[in-house]
Order: sequence, then C-alpha cells, then structure tokens
Amino acid sequence: MSQISIQIKNLSKRLGPNQALAGITASFEPALLYGLIGPDGAGKTTLMRILMGLLFPDSGECAYLDNHQTVAFERVRSSIAYMPQQQSLYPDLSVAEHLEFFRDLYLISGKVFQKRRAELLHLTRMEPFQDRPAGKLSGGMYKKLGLMCALLQSPDVVLLDEPTNGVDPISRREFWDLLYRLIRQKILVIMSTAYMDEAERCSRVLVLDEGKIIAAGEPLSVLKQEKAGNFEELFLQRQKAGRR
Amino acid sequence: MSAGFRFSRAWSIARKEVRHVRRDPFTLATALGLPILLVVFFGYAIDFNVKDIHMIAADRDNTRASREWLKNFTSSRFFKLEPADPGQDPQSALDTEQAKGVIIIEPGFGNDLGAGRPAEVQILLDGADNSTTGIISGYLIGIQQAAWKKISSGPRVQPLSLQTRFLFNQEQNSRWFVVSGLVVVVIGVLSILLTALTVAREWETGSMELLLSTPVRPLEIIFGKLAPYLGLVLVSVVMVYLVARIQFGLPFMGNHLLFLAGILLFLCLCLAQGLLISVITRQQQLAMQLSFISGLLPTLLLSGFIFPIESMPPFFQYLTYILAPRWFMVISRGLFLKGVGLLELAQPLFMLLLLNLIMMGLALKRFKKDLEP
Repeated sequence: MSQISIQIKNLSKRLGPNQALAGITASFEPALLYGLIGPDGAGKTTLMRILMGLLFPDSGECAYLDNHQTVAFERVRSSIAYMPQQQSLYPDLSVAEHLEFFRDLYLISGKVFQKRRAELLHLTRMEPFQDRPAGKLSGGMYKKLGLMCALLQSPDVVLLDEPTNGVDPISRREFWDLLYRLIRQKILVIMSTAYMDEAERCSRVLVLDEGKIIAAGEPLSVLKQEKAGNFEELFLQRQKAGRR
Repeated sequence: MSAGFRFSRAWSIARKEVRHVRRDPFTLATALGLPILLVVFFGYAIDFNVKDIHMIAADRDNTRASREWLKNFTSSRFFKLEPADPGQDPQSALDTEQAKGVIIIEPGFGNDLGAGRPAEVQILLDGADNSTTGIISGYLIGIQQAAWKKISSGPRVQPLSLQTRFLFNQEQNSRWFVVSGLVVVVIGVLSILLTALTVAREWETGSMELLLSTPVRPLEIIFGKLAPYLGLVLVSVVMVYLVARIQFGLPFMGNHLLFLAGILLFLCLCLAQGLLISVITRQQQLAMQLSFISGLLPTLLLSGFIFPIESMPPFFQYLTYILAPRWFMVISRGLFLKGVGLLELAQPLFMLLLLNLIMMGLALKRFKKDLEP
C-alpha cells in the first residue's frame, strides 16, 4: 500500500484582487488528520484546490511523495479524494445512483464495489436511504454521501473542504468518528473548518489567516505557544492586537 | 491509469445525463415541445401568399368602362374591393389601416377610353408595409394586362410575351419554402440551447469541481454530456420531418442518407457551439441568453430562411459564409424541394465540415480541467 505525503513550499496564489495565499510552507504526513483552521477568506479553499490540482500556484512548489519518493501529480491523482465545500452532488440522483456513478468514474470492479459499498453504507448508517435523491437528504446525510463518494475508491489522501459546515452537532460527532477511522487506516486526511472547537480534535493544525500560516503544529502546543485557552481566543487576541 | 480516453467513463456520464433529462420536465418539454411550436408557428403564421387584400375603390367616373375595369380586381381572389365612402377622402382609409390600397378613377375615364385617349387610374398603396405593397404592385401588372385585353377592342398581339414557369415548388407555395427550412431552425436553436444549459448547469451547481477531481478526462465529460442531446435532437428532427411531410404535404426529392449526413454535421457544429458558450459563461442564465442570440438570430435572419441572402448588402452576404445555418439551409431546401445530389451539395457540406473543425477546436481548447478563472 502506498503512503502519500505532500510537501508545499512558499505557495502563493492571487485570485482577482485578493492575495488568497501568501507564501505557505507545510508538510502533510500519512495517518494524520490535518485541520486547516481559519475564518472565511483565510485561503483554506484555495489551498485545498491547489492540493487537488484544480488551481495552479503563482509561485512556490507542491510536491507529492509516495513512500518518500517524489512522484508526478498525475500518478497520485486517482488516489486523492476530494470533497468540495460547495454542494456538488446531483440533487435528482439517489444515494445508490451516486455510488454507481462514482464506481464508473473510478473504474472500480463490480466485486470490489459491492464490498466497499456495503462497508460505507454500514459505516455511515445510510442503508435505509439508498433510494433517496441527494436533494432530499438532510445536511448531515448529504455530507456523508459526499464522503462516501470520495471514499469509494479507497484513497490514500482525503481532502475535505469544510465537511461539517451546516451539519447538526450529533451528525458532526458521527462525522468525526468516521474521520478517525480513516487515519487508523494510515490515510492522510486534510480537512478545513471554520469551527474553532473542531481544531482541537485534529492531530495537527495549520492556523490560516489572510493567506498566511500564523501557527502550526499539534493543537495543544499551538495554544500554549500562543498563550490562548482555545482557538477562538487565539483569533480574538489577534484581532485585538490588530493582526500582527 | 487515468491516461487515455475510457469509453466506460463517457458512457457513465451519458447515463447520468439521461437520468437528468428523464427527471427534468423542462428539458423534455423544450426538446419535444419547441419543435412542434416552431412548426405550427412558422408553418401557419408565415404566409407570403397574399390574398383578400383590402382595397378601397372610389369610382368617380361610374361608367360602364370604369365598372368593367374594376371588375378585374374583384374577379381575382387576391383583392377584396370595397366602394369608398362618398363623403370621405378615400386616402384616409390608408391612414386608418382600413385598406392597403386605394383606387381612384376620376370622371372622364370612360370618355377618354372611348375616344382613344390615354385613360388614367390612380392607385395609392400603403408604402409603410412595403412587403405587401411589393406583392400588390406585382399583381397589378397582371391585372392591367388582363384589363387591357378585355376593354380594348379585340386582342392585339403583343410583340413580346414572357412565359414564366417555376421549376421547383410549382405552386409557389410559401409554406413549402418556410417548412423546408424549419429543420435548420429547430436544430440550430434546440441543440445550442440544450447543450449550453447542461454544461453550464454543471459549472453553476459546483458539480464540475467534483467531476474534475476524479480521473475523468475532459473529452469523456464532453462525449458523455453531448451524446444524449444528440439523440434527443435527432428525435425532434424526425418529428419535424414527419409533420412537414404529412401535415404540409412537403415532397422530399433528394437522398435521405445525404440529408442525415448534413443533419449530423450541422448538429455536431451546434453542439460544439453550445459547449463553447457554456464553458465561457459557466452560468445557466447567461448561457441561455447567449444561445438564443447566437443560435436564433443568425438562423432566422441571416440563413436565407425567410430573407434571401442575395438581396443583403455585400457585407452581410460575406458574413453568412461563416454561419452554419446558411449552409445547412441550402442542403435542407435542396433535398426537400429540388432533389439535388452530392455534387451540388459539395460546397455546403465542405463548409459545414470546416466550420465544425474550427468550432470543435475552439470548444475543446476552452474546456478547462481546472478551476482557474
């Protein structure tokens, strides 16, 4: 099994008048859950899209390593799963039809698909809703379907852009249980969130603001270093200090 | 693994698209309803055959000769003659749109005619409606000749006479002319609109972002998304063809395979145009407006559908060379009404092929596999 890690160096990206990313350096290792933490407009989605190859950086590097060997993005592309922030499923297609559609796109064989599909439906407790169109799912179930589509191909890297946004607290807890399962399978998970309380659940955090990383590391040591009780406080402190 | 075109992936996109179409009443209604609407609208509403034109006759001479002369008008089915209101200026009928023309015969008409002097009749036509008046003045020449024969003493041999015979569409049925061009309008509007909407929808709802993150290739997306609409529009074309043949009694003089080749060429071109619009706009609303402007206007105005290209200013004549509907119009009419063959259609077919290559090249070049603005 391949273990993919990602290293980014001095990544910058301008989108229209905004400097979405201004020189970001970080590395992402397998079997860890990285949280991109920051307010709206911090550059989280832009970074996600660059990692997925949907946007190209103006300057800087984005390298993918497979067992410590640098590989071309096209080689690893099919083992990276991505769940966009925007609702991107087809409202008129049912849960089962979505899974079949993504099976075909990822060229998954019938046998593997049957097993994986049963596994995912069980894990997400979505078995009773297979025939329900995506447009009629609740916020939490919709996100779960998105995650199922992403996980169908058994990826090595999972990129989730605000997966818990607009999801009720109970569904959010369920969602986190699913994420913990993933990292136990040595998968690299990178998720972004604007919910500060979720930061402490990540293995590592990258705190982003205005396109820059203002702190990075294990959540508790970041808080200690910044002398903040929690991440909300961290941002409030920064705001008071006029964004150093 | 992800390199190269995989038919199965294109097929899965096509199958998904068919599901969308089947569940979306708007698309189905447009694809099947719009052609019928166009056929009924253009087939029945547009009629260049003029008949029952209202004319006002002010016969101030009121002699046998003047009455005889006027009878020529009433005996043709083209005109409906009404005597003028005596207390009213006959010309006011034109102002109030009561009549398209006024005939005034001054006193002395009969005397002049009898004495062998030139007799005069004044005819006033409503020039504001120049298409009708153009046709009226055409008929007038014929009526004048008929009247001359009757009134003048005995038939004189005319030194020169023109015998016109129409080779195609002998009855000069304008409905045949319009309906044989309708296939062009239906394909032109429908296929551009439907493809522009379906791809723009994918961008607008954000599902394109998810699609592009999968190993699916742009070409697979394009093939998968367009194939169902190709089929759908072909069904509409068959519908229009059947209505034209059965309802309007249109002949089909040419080769059906040649017609199919022309249809496919034109259809692919329109699909590429719709695709280009949608990848540029990425929004349904804008894509719809652009499709109507770029699809409907050239087809209706610059293809020769109604307005002959030969009578356009030179600039517009040359402009029509790069417009696909113009070429397909030649093919459609040629096959329906004239029965031309491959040799005569070589130029339009070649032009369609050339425009196809250009349009597809543009659409593929602009189709992005990333989200860069």
